[in-house]
Amino acid sequence: MSQSLRPYLSCVRSTLTAALSLSNFASQAAERHNVPEIEAASSPELLLNPLTVSRNAEERVLVEPSVNSVRVSIRIKQADEIEHILVHKFTRFLTQRAEAFFILRRKAVPGYDISFLITNLHTEEMLKHKLVDFIIEFMEEVDKEISEMKLFLNARARFVAESFLTPFD
Amino acid sequence: MANINWRTINIDALDPESSYNFDLSTLTPAVQPVSTADVQTLTGQIRQLLRGGDASGALQGALENAPYGADEQGKAAHLSVVTECLNQIRQAEMTPLLQRMYKAEGGSELCDTLMKYLYKGMSQGTDTPTRNHAGAKSMTPQATGGFSQAGGRNFGGTEGGGQAMSVFLSWHEKLVEMVGPGSIVRVMSDRRTV
Repeated sequence: MSQSLRPYLSCVRSTLTAALSLSNFASQAAERHNVPEIEAASSPELLLNPLTVSRNAEERVLVEPSVNSVRVSIRIKQADEIEHILVHKFTRFLTQRAEAFFILRRKAVPGYDISFLITNLHTEEMLKHKLVDFIIEFMEEVDKEISEMKLFLNARARFVAESFLTPFD
Repeated sequence: MANINWRTINIDALDPESSYNFDLSTLTPAVQPVSTADVQTLTGQIRQLLRGGDASGALQGALENAPYGADEQGKAAHLSVVTECLNQIRQAEMTPLLQRMYKAEGGSELCDTLMKYLYKGMSQGTDTPTRNHAGAKSMTPQATGGFSQAGGRNFGGTEGGGQAMSVFLSWHEKLVEMVGPGSIVRVMSDRRTV
């Protein structure tokens, strides 16, 4: 792991561990409803201060806690336009299958690439430290995945171009 | 009146009794307002300490007198002086300094304030909208035509700030090691923002 990635991930880990203390909280606006307050934003006293952890200007995590839900948004590193397209395709693939991931939000918060919405139901039926581990692992893997895909893409493009141009040689 | 879509009106906002209009000031501890000029004299004093080589004293003074009641401008000025203090202190001196600060009278409060400044510092530079189509380097022939869903983003020249962030991150790591995650919870729940 690179030298600057480790403090970044440990900072995200401790922030998430602190933020994921959720309780069951029914909606104050509508009877017999129970909605994630960070999304509904129906009462200002239930929303806590949002925290940002950033590694540099292009890589950061936004943690928006509330009484019964936490929204975690990740901005993935994108060095050039190919990586930008790859990240877009990759996150789109994931968000279209959001039910399979339980905590994945269907739409990213503006300015970020992918968002997770963790509610008290998730922390009740899943282990909290495993949830934190999942997000940390996701952040580790996604960087690797994107740079790997970029390498494959370049190798493939070179091969295609070579075989396409062979007859004209 | 006819052209207003009444289905989109938030009726909770019109009801003074609803939870939507909860008065947040009842949760905020009373802070006396601080004028920007006062903050500027304070930051001047702290900078003087910094120039004198007393970075830890400067940091302590800056954290003890965090201007909770100041406006955005004053808070930004104070944040910049705290950042200067943090940058001045070397990696090896962090842990002993934090330990001394934590053990002293009212030390845990100072650590919470430091934690607030670390998060505030890391969220700096993210307020500006970064997804602008015009600012993107036009390497592709069509800036918006090919990938209308993928918003534009400017590449290159964004490596700045990485150094400053790594300072915040290493301070954060040391601080959490000592005071635990409770400090982060207090940053989230404290209505007095820095």
